Amino acid sequence: MPPKRKSAPTNASFDVKRSRTATPAASVSSSDDFSDYEAPEEGHVIHNVVSKFSLDERSSKSIVRKTDSVSHIFGKRDYSYLTLKPNHATRPLWIDPEGNIIMESFSALAPRAQEFLTAIAEPISRPQFIHEYRITAHSLHAAVASAGLTPDDLISTLERFSKVSVPADIASFIRECTESYGKVKLVLKDNKYYIECKEPETLQKLIQDPEIAQGRVHEGDGAVVVAKAPQMGGLVIPGTKEAAGAAQAPTQPGAPAAEKDQLMEDVFTSATGIHEDGEGDDDDEEDTVHSFEIARDFVEVAQKRCLNLGYPISEEYAFRDDTTNAELPIDLKPHARIRPYQEVSLNKMFGNGRAKSGIIVLPCGAGKTLVGISAACTIKKSVVVLATSAMSVVQWRQQFIQWCNIDPDQIAIFTSESKTAFKGDAGIIVSTYSMVTNSGNRSHDSQKMMDFLTSREWGLLILDEVHVVPAGMFRKTLTCISAHTKLGLTATLLREDDKISDLNFLIGPKLYEANWMELAEQGHIAKVQCAEVWCPMTPEFYMEYLNEPDARKRTLHYIMNPRKFQACQFLIDYHEKRGDKIIVFSDNVYALKAYALKLRKAFIYGGTPQQERLSILENFQLNPNVNTIFLSKIGDTSLDLPEATCLIQISAHYGSRRQEAQRLGRILRAKRRNDEGFNAFFYSLVSKDTAEMYYSTKRQAFLVDQGYAFKVITHLQGIEKFPGLAYSTLAERKELLEQVVLQNADAGGQEGDDFDGARGLSFNANSSRKSKAKFKRTTGKLSELSGGSTMAYIETNKSRNKELKKDQYKKKSSFFKKLDRDREKRQKEQLALKEQYSGAN
Amino acid sequence: MSSTIRGFDDYLESLPPITFRRLYQQPATTLAIFRRMLPNLAKVFVTTLLYNETPIPQADLEVWARPESSREREDALGKLRRLFIIKEENGQISLDPAFKKNFRLALTGGGDHHSFGVPVRTPEKKKIDLQFLDQYAAKQFDTILHFMVQTASNVHPSEGVKHLLVTSGLMERHGGRSEPTITQNGFSFLLQAGNAQIWVLLIQYLEMSETLGMEKTDVLHFLLMLGSLDLGRAYAVETLTQTQKSMLADLRDYGVVYQRKTTSDCFYPTRLATTLTSDSSGLRSVSESFNAALTVHDPSASTTIPPAPSSLGPVEKGFIMIETNYRIYAYTSSPLQIAVLDLFCNLSSRFPNFVTGKLSRRSIQSAIKLGITADQIIDYLRTHAHVQMRKISVLVLPPTVVDQIRLWEIEGERMKTTTGYLFKEFATVMDWEETRRYAEELGVLRWAGKEQRMLFVTRHEGVADWLKRRAVKLQQQQQMLAAKKAAGT
Repeated sequence: MPPKRKSAPTNASFDVKRSRTATPAASVSSSDDFSDYEAPEEGHVIHNVVSKFSLDERSSKSIVRKTDSVSHIFGKRDYSYLTLKPNHATRPLWIDPEGNIIMESFSALAPRAQEFLTAIAEPISRPQFIHEYRITAHSLHAAVASAGLTPDDLISTLERFSKVSVPADIASFIRECTESYGKVKLVLKDNKYYIECKEPETLQKLIQDPEIAQGRVHEGDGAVVVAKAPQMGGLVIPGTKEAAGAAQAPTQPGAPAAEKDQLMEDVFTSATGIHEDGEGDDDDEEDTVHSFEIARDFVEVAQKRCLNLGYPISEEYAFRDDTTNAELPIDLKPHARIRPYQEVSLNKMFGNGRAKSGIIVLPCGAGKTLVGISAACTIKKSVVVLATSAMSVVQWRQQFIQWCNIDPDQIAIFTSESKTAFKGDAGIIVSTYSMVTNSGNRSHDSQKMMDFLTSREWGLLILDEVHVVPAGMFRKTLTCISAHTKLGLTATLLREDDKISDLNFLIGPKLYEANWMELAEQGHIAKVQCAEVWCPMTPEFYMEYLNEPDARKRTLHYIMNPRKFQACQFLIDYHEKRGDKIIVFSDNVYALKAYALKLRKAFIYGGTPQQERLSILENFQLNPNVNTIFLSKIGDTSLDLPEATCLIQISAHYGSRRQEAQRLGRILRAKRRNDEGFNAFFYSLVSKDTAEMYYSTKRQAFLVDQGYAFKVITHLQGIEKFPGLAYSTLAERKELLEQVVLQNADAGGQEGDDFDGARGLSFNANSSRKSKAKFKRTTGKLSELSGGSTMAYIETNKSRNKELKKDQYKKKSSFFKKLDRDREKRQKEQLALKEQYSGAN
Repeated sequence: MSSTIRGFDDYLESLPPITFRRLYQQPATTLAIFRRMLPNLAKVFVTTLLYNETPIPQADLEVWARPESSREREDALGKLRRLFIIKEENGQISLDPAFKKNFRLALTGGGDHHSFGVPVRTPEKKKIDLQFLDQYAAKQFDTILHFMVQTASNVHPSEGVKHLLVTSGLMERHGGRSEPTITQNGFSFLLQAGNAQIWVLLIQYLEMSETLGMEKTDVLHFLLMLGSLDLGRAYAVETLTQTQKSMLADLRDYGVVYQRKTTSDCFYPTRLATTLTSDSSGLRSVSESFNAALTVHDPSASTTIPPAPSSLGPVEKGFIMIETNYRIYAYTSSPLQIAVLDLFCNLSSRFPNFVTGKLSRRSIQSAIKLGITADQIIDYLRTHAHVQMRKISVLVLPPTVVDQIRLWEIEGERMKTTTGYLFKEFATVMDWEETRRYAEELGVLRWAGKEQRMLFVTRHEGVADWLKRRAVKLQQQQQMLAAKKAAGT
């Protein structure tokens, strides 16, 4: 392709690179180990790229190690050979050749270092004094893509903060990663796709590639376009301080903040004796970018090809220049104020005036929804929101209406129960992952909706609770909905399997991750007292537990441990008397029902009908007589109950750190969090000497790394004197044990269902279990079947659920009646609308 | 009282009465035992009895303590009995005559026993000041610590010290190697406070003394005397016994006494000596002794290191940080500190001045297997906590971590063992019942079986004494009854 080369500026380094390879064609495939690049499956490629940029495989050679009597303890992690800088006391961090960074949070420079580190590294643990971070390929990707740092910036800043000289391995790793990452951008401008790059050499390399060249749009000369780099210039994210400033005419641009910065700067320079010139340069120099256009239907091929070449494309959306997609009149209401950390995260997303795809990680209750809404209000195009359950779909819609001035008719819901489109050219659709990815037969209505979804171009795709969705499902979602920007929202970007790393490539880099402890200190989320209550197994149960061969039944034994039940009963009573609203979580449905029925509390699990769920939740929120509800794992995520202030966990999903964090999240948004001395409570009941102890430690790992401290309670004060304590006699315990033993193994398993029956969503749905035979074989006496074993039907444990239901019909105030009428009216309207829409089609 | 003083206590109580009789021949020894070994109530009893020429009925003595403190009273009396300080005859209590005589001497002065040492009036040409003595003591003792962890190859204590370390099990010799290496006992020895460490060595020395053909009472006399000497004053060698003279050489090696020359006719006790029998923490606290062990000794520097001027010592610099996520960070480069940390935590990486690690169930339990207690670990962490941790909270350590360490410790201890004594074959249930009640009052009762007529107690002396006295009383009663009967008939 010689004609295209003429536009390439001759550059020494470029030539050197080229000369290494024999022919231009060969250069295409030589750098990566794929000789056959036509066929490779995408997941495979991703894996390859991921492993290419991993630090573990590096070996540091030729290092002179001093050894002494204790060196053997550390093995190859003895980094005492690193040279300590003379003024190390004033610098805040250490860095080792594996990319681990350890930072003193009490250092004078810590705030600056922290800001820098959150941009370039993954936080590992952030407790009180010493924080740990880790530099990974993904974090560097994010650093380059969102913060726009150059490798030299990165290394020199790191060097400035580090007590030890930055190991050569790290420096070269940073260079290698940043060289290829985030340089090439796919930009959608005026509905034309451009591949954009700051460095002409790299762009030339891509142009040389025959595959990419095919898709190139030749306009006139087909030359590379040189333009100014985009700037933040003039973009105002609604709800931020700037927005407030812009609205109120002349203002003083945050003078105190600037002064403080200056002060820090002084401290810093005096401490290290180095001036920051790197940052200044960027502003003076007019950045230029080079780009060429590629055909729309060729985008995916180009993306794949670039990934293959080691230049993953990051996507940007110049939404202000997009004229083809209709504008959505949406703005935040004046009362909506964005908190500082939300502003920071949004700034990362809209860093240069364009919208970038990526993931924002905020603790539950810290206002992820508002971040999503603000992003939508900034882009002002049609939006698709995907949530995990029908419940949260409803909540998203309510939030949109609450926080911004959108016409309620323009925001539509697409679930199994409601399938309506919005009015007008642009609007918002809220749906669930399972609705979108459902591969089975669809009803006529939903197929219509799907066609509508896939046929359009969307400005923003918000992916709520992005961690729950397996990669395969994502790919499906992303291919069927064409969105310019993808924003993933989550509180816990971790999975026990390592499918999380794919998200970085599928959605985008992690743009921001908040510090839990900091938010709690500032009062944005509630402060929580965490406790692990050790419940000893009763001898009968422990004996059965030890003798039980079936692992799932064993689980049932420690969950149904009578002492655990007593602890639960005691804690519920104690906290109800304090005036707390309590949620009790149990993954195990059998236990959930058994506990709830025995304690006469309302419960919700996968099998509870939607209407009943809503009424129970409503009662929990408003009825002073309903202070405790039992939830199965359907309540783990996206359930917004600001009334809850106390949480008790009686059974959980093995060692899932994410579930623990998500459940904690249910009480983080407690309404009363800003009361003086308010504390929310999180109890985890664990049966002593069972596998639960082991899982429990594993589960807490994430929260503990965020700085939460779990207090171990071995004995609940006053539990023996508690009146009406259940299972206090041996006979009662034996009876319970009998019941438990009679349960079949399935009862010990966990609920595979999700809120709306999306099996694929539960992150390890036991699909094998579903295909079990329908009959089961149990041992028992014939007399049992005939009622001979002194059994009689007496309803002692009446379900509280039923009572609530009765209440609902009995005493409904006129207010609720009116609400109901309104709801019906709206449904009719929407139905009419739908007909109108289908008629139009 | 620290644990090792208690160790010395046990050692003393194991001695036969004859040794005590000999011990009480020296006024200094009586004073030292009075000061160091007796609980406060026992001190009150002793001082009251001291100038009472006639024995006091036991019943009177029992009135001196409130009825609700009968446990303390029995404790005190038991202690006095075990140390053979009191004598009981026919329900009358008096002080041991030798003890009484020599304790009076110790308090009032007089006599020519020289048991408080004989100060040398004419000081030597060069004045020996306190600072010098402290430095000397620190240097000698640190040599031992350094030798144990082999931080510097150029320090070598005397053969005597090496022998002591090996026989005490703090270090062990491996077949071919000439130099002994540290054992796990040695590591937990390092975790102890300075004063306690001296006592560990001295008790070992006491036990060794017999095999060396030394007179045990002489050794004891000398050690207890040291505690009552004045710091900075020279004492004459000539009044010492032959055994004591030969002890001087060993004590010099430990840094307990200083002599200008081996042939010098006077010696100086150091702070290590004078604090032996007092409650103050001695030359320095745990952490200080630790820091001292860490600063690798070199002769030129030793003169510039300011020694601790008083027993309180300066506020030492902590270096350990513990987070609520059980991670441990230590600002250290010293192999000794790292080796000690490695005892109870999983160390992961090491920088020139910094070490990271994590406490885990396994690491704590492996430490516990080595005989280190959770309290020792917690104490160690607390005394060495970084100044940042002190700033945040008075508790210094995160309470959850402290709890967890303790829980890990007791996790393996489902079965509790108590060493003690079994009383069996009570003649009647009433005997058993009364003894049980008494043992309960004493606080030594662990278990009582009514059917078996057995009692299990942690200490037998008090109960045994009481049984004896009861037997005597019963006998007397019976005799009186018999006499009455005889009179009646």
